[in-house]
Amino acid sequence: MQIPLSMSDISLWIAVTAIILLVASELLSPYSEHFGYFAIDKARLRLAALILGASFMITVLLRAIGYS
Amino acid sequence: MTPPKSKENSKKKGKAEKESEPTKVQSHLETLQLLKNENEALKQELLRYRRLPSSKIGFTLLIIGALVFVASFAATSTVLAFIGLGFTFWGALFLFAKPIKFVRSTLLDSTALSSYTTIDRILDDLNYKGKPTYIPPYPKEAYLPEYLKGLKQMVVFIPAKDTTAIPTIEEMAKKQFLVKNPKGICFMPPGFGLVSLFEKEMKADSTKIDLDGLYNSLSTVIVKNLELASNFEIAPEKELFHIKITDSVYKDLYSIERKLKSVSSVGCPLTSAVACALAKTTGKIVTITKSIVSPDLRTIETWYQTVEV
Repeated sequence: MQIPLSMSDISLWIAVTAIILLVASELLSPYSEHFGYFAIDKARLRLAALILGASFMITVLLRAIGYS
Repeated sequence: MTPPKSKENSKKKGKAEKESEPTKVQSHLETLQLLKNENEALKQELLRYRRLPSSKIGFTLLIIGALVFVASFAATSTVLAFIGLGFTFWGALFLFAKPIKFVRSTLLDSTALSSYTTIDRILDDLNYKGKPTYIPPYPKEAYLPEYLKGLKQMVVFIPAKDTTAIPTIEEMAKKQFLVKNPKGICFMPPGFGLVSLFEKEMKADSTKIDLDGLYNSLSTVIVKNLELASNFEIAPEKELFHIKITDSVYKDLYSIERKLKSVSSVGCPLTSAVACALAKTTGKIVTITKSIVSPDLRTIETWYQTVEV
C-alpha cells in the first residue's frame, strides 16, 4: 500500500478546486433570477476557497524548497 | 338646547355607526383568517426548509469519498484517489456551508408586518400625526446614574402634533411608551436589531466612527455581508442624507396592497436601521423627510435630515 498521489497531483487538485470555489462564491447571488434563490452560506464558501488557495501556495512552496 | 334637526342627524349617525360595526367586525375576522392561513403556509414552508437533506448529502458524500480514497490506496490508483478526494471534499463542504441560517426573504417582511400593523393601529387610534424622530442614545461606555440608564437605548419618538420635538430626558430615561411632555409615543425603532447586526459586522460602534467611515461600512455590510439589498448608495445633500436602495429584502412592505402608513413614515427595517446608524454617528436627532419607492418596488429612495435640538 502506498499513496497513489504525488505532491504535484495534490497541488493541481487543490488549485483547480480553489478556482472552482472562488468563482462559485463570486458568481452565486441570492438575486439571480435564472437560478432562483441559493440558500448557501457564501461567506463560508469563500473561506473554504481561500483556505484551499493558501494550501495551494504552501504546496508550491514545498515543491520549490524540494527542488532547491 | 339642541335644535331638532341636529338631533335627527346625530340619531342617523348613531344608526349608521351601529350598522357599520358588524361589517367592520366581519372584515377584521376575514383579515384575521387570512393572516392565520398565511401563517400556516409560512410554517409549512419553514418546515420544508428545515427538512432540506443537505446534512444527509454531506455525510453520504463524505463516507463514499473516504471509502474510495482508502480503496485507491489498496489499488494504487490515481484516478480512484482523485475521485475519493473529490467526494470527501464536497461532502465536507456540504456540511460546512449548509443553509441552516438562511430563510426566504418573504419570511422577513411577513414577520415585520405585524409590528407595522400595530404601529399603524396605535397611531390611528391616538390620532397622532407627528413626524417620527430618531433620538440617538448615549454611548455604551458613557457613565450614567442608574435612573438615567434608559438613555442608552435608541428610540423613535412620534409626537402627537406635526412638529419635530423630543421628550424630556426624564421621560426617556423612564422608558415610557406614552410620553406626556410633549405628547407622543416612544418606542424601539424597527431597525434597532439590524443596526446592532451592522455594528457586529463592522466590528465597530456607530458612535465611534465618522460619517465617511459609516458610508463605506454601511454599503459593504448591507450589500456584501448581509445581502439585504443588491445595491446601496448614500450621499450627503446639503443638510440631508440621500440613500438609494435597490432590491431590498423588505421591498414588499411598501406594496400598496398592504397599506402600511408607518412604513413610509418610520421606514422599513432597513431604512430605519440607516436612520439609527446616522443618529448614532452624528449624535443628532434624525427624521425621515421623504421616501420614494419605484412602482415595481425595486428602488427605494429616502432622504434623512439631522436636526439639532
